[in-house]
Amino acid sequence: MHIPDGIVPAQVCLAGYGLTGFFTWYSLRQIDKQGNPGPQIPKASLLTAAFFVASSIYIPIPPASVHLLLNGLLGVVLGYFSFPAIVIGLFFQALIVGHGGLTTLGVNATMMGVPALLSYHIFQLRFLVDRKNPQRPVLLGIFAFLGGFIGLALSALIFMGIVIATVPADFNAGTEQTAIVTLTLMHIPLAILEGGFTAMLVIFLQRVKPELLTGR
Amino acid sequence: MATASFETYIDGRSRIHSWTPRLKLISLVLLMFAFAAIKHLSLVIPMLGVTAMMYALSGLPLSFLLKRLRYPGLFILMVVLVLPFGSGETVLAQWGPLALRQEGLMTMVLVVARFVSILTLGFILLGTTPFLTLLRAMRSLGLPTLLADMTLLTYRYLFETADMLSTMQRSMHLRGFGHRNRWLRLNGRTLSQLAGLLGTLLIRSYERSERVYKAMLLRGYGQLQSSQLAAHQPADRTSLVLTSLCVMAAIGFVITELTFLLK
Repeated sequence: MHIPDGIVPAQVCLAGYGLTGFFTWYSLRQIDKQGNPGPQIPKASLLTAAFFVASSIYIPIPPASVHLLLNGLLGVVLGYFSFPAIVIGLFFQALIVGHGGLTTLGVNATMMGVPALLSYHIFQLRFLVDRKNPQRPVLLGIFAFLGGFIGLALSALIFMGIVIATVPADFNAGTEQTAIVTLTLMHIPLAILEGGFTAMLVIFLQRVKPELLTGR
Repeated sequence: MATASFETYIDGRSRIHSWTPRLKLISLVLLMFAFAAIKHLSLVIPMLGVTAMMYALSGLPLSFLLKRLRYPGLFILMVVLVLPFGSGETVLAQWGPLALRQEGLMTMVLVVARFVSILTLGFILLGTTPFLTLLRAMRSLGLPTLLADMTLLTYRYLFETADMLSTMQRSMHLRGFGHRNRWLRLNGRTLSQLAGLLGTLLIRSYERSERVYKAMLLRGYGQLQSSQLAAHQPADRTSLVLTSLCVMAAIGFVITELTFLLK
């Protein structure tokens, strides 16, 4: 689910960079507020590498490719670091495998990074639900599922919005509508899969290495 | 993961190689954006011409470009191949239910030409600038320290992490994972085993990052004064000429595009 170079008009690319600039600034400000980011930098970087490696197994089935997007999980684990992590990951993806592109880096980063930030906040909501014991597996599972689900679902919606608004020159309205509905329906099982996977992984992390989740 | 060699830099002595990195980065990115703005078919030939000229100037072998374009090219072809058949009203040719339409065909030509040109410029940038030089240039153009540090560290550990993952996958396979049927049937158990795999990868990366941070601290990480950052390399004449040519070309393309739009 990347937008390659040459497909979207320059205005969209520029708007994407503008939004990415804003969200990067916002994320960096929040990171600064949390105090000394020093020890967090290597952690976020190595996890970015791990996420990159884990998500680069994909099968291109245009206009989407089927693989785990992992942006919800990234938000859940990395918090505000997830946005810079996604920018960097996409930058490497454009360089190494030519997936996505340099002019569309901003668009792609917004498409995946904003849902990641949202997933992080959703995952943090568990503290509101149960103040005493927010790390209960059931609670972790539910909120991680929501994080993963929304991460993919929202990215897919933004992706389809951009593709439909910019690509087809003169598709007739009927074809277009069928395409939108089919694609949306196609992504629901994927979002459930992504949510389930995120929940399983978060429960696993809580069991084996809880400090990875309670760092903030 | 595709373990293609990451360092795309190819040593050379061309004018593009010796172009001041900061100026090269700005010029090529500007040109890429100007290309992305092109919507009129008559600008396709000049665009491809400028791209070809830049590539010839860079002295990079053609095989480098072809190798790099292969995978993304395949992907975009699959995306745009529906256009000539699904979009537009003027039918050029008809084979049964399949109709080749003019408008769709034109859009396809435009998208593919833009894609090839932008990607080629990107590869010129990466092929003639070592990655670390490029990062330094981005840093001097205002890339935040945190982003630069994260990019460097991610870059440093990317392939080691990929190796770690493939070792883990191999040992899972040796213990019988995925043997029963070639196409992994997606059930809860498989999914939780895969979650365990990725979880372990994350934990190992996390533990390693703690060691890396301690080592970095011992080597004085975070003590660097801004004045210690390398001073800017002064731009030579060739760099300035190349930069102004690129900027003029970019502006020219945008202005021509706008006049077409206003007509």
